[in-house]
Order: sequence, then structure tokens, then C-alpha cells
Amino acid sequence: MIQPVDLQDFFITFFSGAMIIIAGAAYALLFALSRVHRMPRLMPFAYLAYVFLFISVLVLAEATHLYGFWRILVVTMLLGYLLAPHAIWHLCVGTHAALEEDANPKSPIPEDNTHSGRRSA
Amino acid sequence: MKPGVSEISNLSGGQQLALKYFLVAGVLFGAQLFFGLLAGLQYLRPEFLYGILDFSTNRMVHINAMVVWMLFGFIGCAYWLIEDESGIPVVGLKLGNLIFWVFTTAVAVVVVVYLFVQIGPGTDTTIWFINEGREYIEAPRWADIGIVVCVLVFFFNIAATALKGRTTGITGVLILDLIALAGLYLAGMVYFTNISIDQYWWWWVIHLWVEATWEVLVGCIMAWGLMTTLGARRKIVQTWLYIEVALMFGSGILGLGHHYFWIGTPEYWFSIGGFFSALEPIPLVAMVVHAIYDSGTHRFTNSNHPALGWLIAHAFGNFFGAGVWGFMHTLPQINLFTHGTQWTSSHGHLAFFGAYATINIAFFYLAAQKLRGNVWMAGELAGNGWRWKWSLALLNIGVVGMTMALLISGYEQSFVERAIEGSGWAGYFAAQNHPWFIQGMVWRMAFGWITLAGYLLMVWDLLTIGVGDSRAAIVPGGGGDAVLEEAGSAPATA
Repeated sequence: MIQPVDLQDFFITFFSGAMIIIAGAAYALLFALSRVHRMPRLMPFAYLAYVFLFISVLVLAEATHLYGFWRILVVTMLLGYLLAPHAIWHLCVGTHAALEEDANPKSPIPEDNTHSGRRSA
Repeated sequence: MKPGVSEISNLSGGQQLALKYFLVAGVLFGAQLFFGLLAGLQYLRPEFLYGILDFSTNRMVHINAMVVWMLFGFIGCAYWLIEDESGIPVVGLKLGNLIFWVFTTAVAVVVVVYLFVQIGPGTDTTIWFINEGREYIEAPRWADIGIVVCVLVFFFNIAATALKGRTTGITGVLILDLIALAGLYLAGMVYFTNISIDQYWWWWVIHLWVEATWEVLVGCIMAWGLMTTLGARRKIVQTWLYIEVALMFGSGILGLGHHYFWIGTPEYWFSIGGFFSALEPIPLVAMVVHAIYDSGTHRFTNSNHPALGWLIAHAFGNFFGAGVWGFMHTLPQINLFTHGTQWTSSHGHLAFFGAYATINIAFFYLAAQKLRGNVWMAGELAGNGWRWKWSLALLNIGVVGMTMALLISGYEQSFVERAIEGSGWAGYFAAQNHPWFIQGMVWRMAFGWITLAGYLLMVWDLLTIGVGDSRAAIVPGGGGDAVLEEAGSAPATA
């Protein structure tokens, strides 16, 4: 079912594991910055971070012997990290677009957006 | 309401009750640090307090104080926000106040018993009156039952208030989450003579609290906190709360399997636990996009700088503590060597502090602000707000330092004790006496003192911040209304 990590691969396992998350965050960060601030120059760097993530996943897969069933996990991680920022971005745009609509309603139905945090003391 | 003057009448009934919970949480936070320091010292000097206050007791009180102060903090947060959310006073507030004293007394009695009855055989009697023997939830059976009663009353207060008044997305999620949270605790109250079965159910409490229900609870608290400090719009935070719940539960529930690798459960848990726990960080990474989106499209005028500082610390701490530190050793192929070493402790320290302690501290500052007549707590605080800034820095540096030190010790343990020596007694002692392990423990101790210094400074700050300041709090809302900047800075859609 599992083949334990070899002694000489200890460090590379921990390092590649950490790099997956950090590169994933860097990819998401640069991706979002590029879109929010309309800086397409940043997008290649975002995908460069994803390339680091891709390599880290492959290194981790080799070090931890992710063969057989575990290949599914490798593919899911690669796709998950690639697509998640895109999905969240679309959700952000969607939720804020809905808010814009609420702010400028076509129908005169008022929405209660009051909150005590918005009232002065 | 006069800014800068501490008056209990500045708070509503629910908030007054919340303040009591926050005070006890703060005291227990101090107890957690004190007993943690004692236990840390005993790693370096095993003879220290031997036979008087043993390591096993110090460690137990350290961990239990942590769990209980988190719970007290969360309960306080829920009481703090429920009246604001529902628009009515807390239903059954007198009962809630009574239960607070019962709960606090029970916790005090349990701790005193821990300290005075440290050693002895485990029997049916000790399970009921001394110690149940399960890590994190050692409270004896009588206290277990008492805790369930207290939590049921707390649940009644929250649910009845929300249902009688205005029910919002936040209170709806909160109610459902509290049902799960209270229900899961029951799994830790059944005793099995088979250790594998006992551990199986015990993890239902620990994992499904920490990596599922607590996360959602914090999501509710965070959502309300963002509306309060930044004036974020309800529709936005509630939508994201639903998304977060789906993402967290999607990977978090079956991520439970990473605790089932080595306790005698069937082999399929390797696949289930490995697969889902490996996917647990993806939501955390994805949320980076949302944070950037919001910061890019909102004006972040906020009413409480210390609270916002701690909310930001929460985001980073959760990401690194739970995400990076968790994923590094979650796959069974490596967890075989790391589980139960200081590696786990390293992950635990950063994850608990980052994900939970930080958000409770943020609410302590919200409470301090309201207690002092909704006083000014934005920029230009007295002394440039050095106390809250330094306490935030010291607490974070201390915990991160302890995390790194424990990581070094844990790496050495995994390598020497587990991989080379094969987990035998000889390997255990070889690892414990290795210079890397000892140096890690020395550095952990040093950073522990830094953490304590941060805590003491935080207490001083909470007791004094805003006192005598006659300025009223600013009203957040610039960013909260999600006002897109002029067309030039509006985000491009995908």
C-alpha cells in the first residue's frame, strides 16, 4: 500500500512538500495581483511559480514513491493548484458583480445592508 | 457612552458575558504559557520539580489550558456578536451567566485535581473523578458531563437568540456548526478497552474539532470581525463563508484519515487520509486570491488597528501553521517517521496559535475598544501604539521561533530514532541525547520566554489601551461598501 521514504530522501521530501504550498501561494498571489492591478507582465511570473510547484510535486512524488493509486493524488494536486486560483477569481468577480447590481438595483427593492459596525458610536 | 472611560454599561448583556469569557480565556492563556515553560525546562533539566510537579502533569495542563482557553474565547466571541447579528438581547442570559460560573469553577476544580493527584493507577473511579487519560480531553467524566450541559446552554442562548431575532447567514452557519461541535464531543466520552477503537473515536473529537468545526466557527467570527473592523459588506462575507465551509469540509472531514495511519485501523485509511489531507491546503492557497482581490478593490479604512493586525496574523499563521507545516508530513510515506515526534509539536504550536489564538486576541481588542466607550483605536494611538505592536511582534516571533526549534528537534528524532534506530528504546534515548535535539530544546525555551514577554505586554496593553483617549472610534465603511475605485483601478474581469 505504501513504500516509506528512503533515508537519503528525508530532506527532499520535507523541502518539496513545503515548496508545493509556498509555490502554490506565490502562483495565487501573482495571478491575483496581475489581474487586480491589470499588470499582465506579472502573469508569466505567476506561471513560473506554478512551474516550480509542478516540479516540486514531481520531486515529492518520486521521493515518497507515489505510484499506482497515488498517481491520482499527484494529478489532482497539479490540477487543483492550477485551477483553484482561476475558480476563486471567478467567484470574486461574480460576488462583487452581484454587489454592484445591488448597489444600482434595476428594481426598487431596497436591501438591508446595515450593520452596527457601520454605525457611529 | 464616553470614549476613553471603562464602564461595563458600555456593553450589552451578551457582551458583558462575553467579556467574562475573554477574561478567563486570557488567564488560561497565561496558565498555558506558564506550564509550557515548566515542561520545556524539564526537557533540559529532567530533575527540575521531579516528584513535585512532573513533566506529564505540566504537559497535560499546558495542552488542556490551550484547548479550554480557545473554547472560552470562541464562546465569548459568539456571545459578543450574537446580539449584533440578531438585533435582540441574548435569550436566557441569566442562565448563560450562571453557566459561565459553573463552567469556570469546573475548569478550576479539574486543574486543581490534576495538580494534586498526579500519579496513581487508572481505574473506573479515576476515569470519573481524576483524569480520563485521553490527550487534550483528559477531563474526568463528571466534568465531561458538566461541559456538555454548559455547551448545551450556550447553544440554547445562541440558537434561541438567532431564531427569535434576525437570522443571518453567519448565525445560521454558527448554529449548524455548534450542533456538530457539541455532538462530536460525545465521541470522546465513551470508553473502550480496545486502544485502537478508543483512539478511533477520540480523533473524531480532536480532528473534527480542530480541522473542521473550529475552522468554520472561526470563519463565522472572522466574517463578523471583517464587517466590524473594515465595514465589509454582509453579502460578500456571507457568500465567502459558505464557500469556505464547502472547501474546508470537502477536504477536512476525510482528512481525518491522516490520524488513522498507525493506530491499527484498516489499510484503506492510508489512501483516504493521504489523499484528502494532501488536498487540505488548496483552499488556503486559493483564498490568497480572494485576499488580494479585496485589498485591491477596497479602501481599507478600519476602526481597530490592533484587531486588524491580529486578523492579518491569523491569515498568515493559518496558512503556514496548518498549510505548510501540515502538508510537509501528512503523507503516510513520511508520516511513518514523523508522527508523535517534536515535528508534530512544531506543527501544533504554529497551527493552533496561527489559526485560533490570533483571532481570539483580535476579539479581545474589539472588546477593549467597546468597553472604553467605542474609543479611537485606529492610527496615532498614544505612544504610536507601541505596546500592541510589540506584543504582536513578540508573540509571533516567540511562537515562530519555538516552531523552528521544535522542527529541528523533530527532524533529528524522525531521522535518528525512527529511521536509523527503528523506533526502539535505544533509538529513543539516542535521539533524546543528540546535540541537535538538545539545542532545539534550548532554543525552544528561549523563544518560549519571548512568547511570555509578548503575552505580558499584551495584557498590559489590553488593560490600558484607549484609557483617557477622548476620540471616538472612526466608522469603517470605505472598503466595506466594496466601492470600486474609479474605472482606472477597477479590476479586470477574467
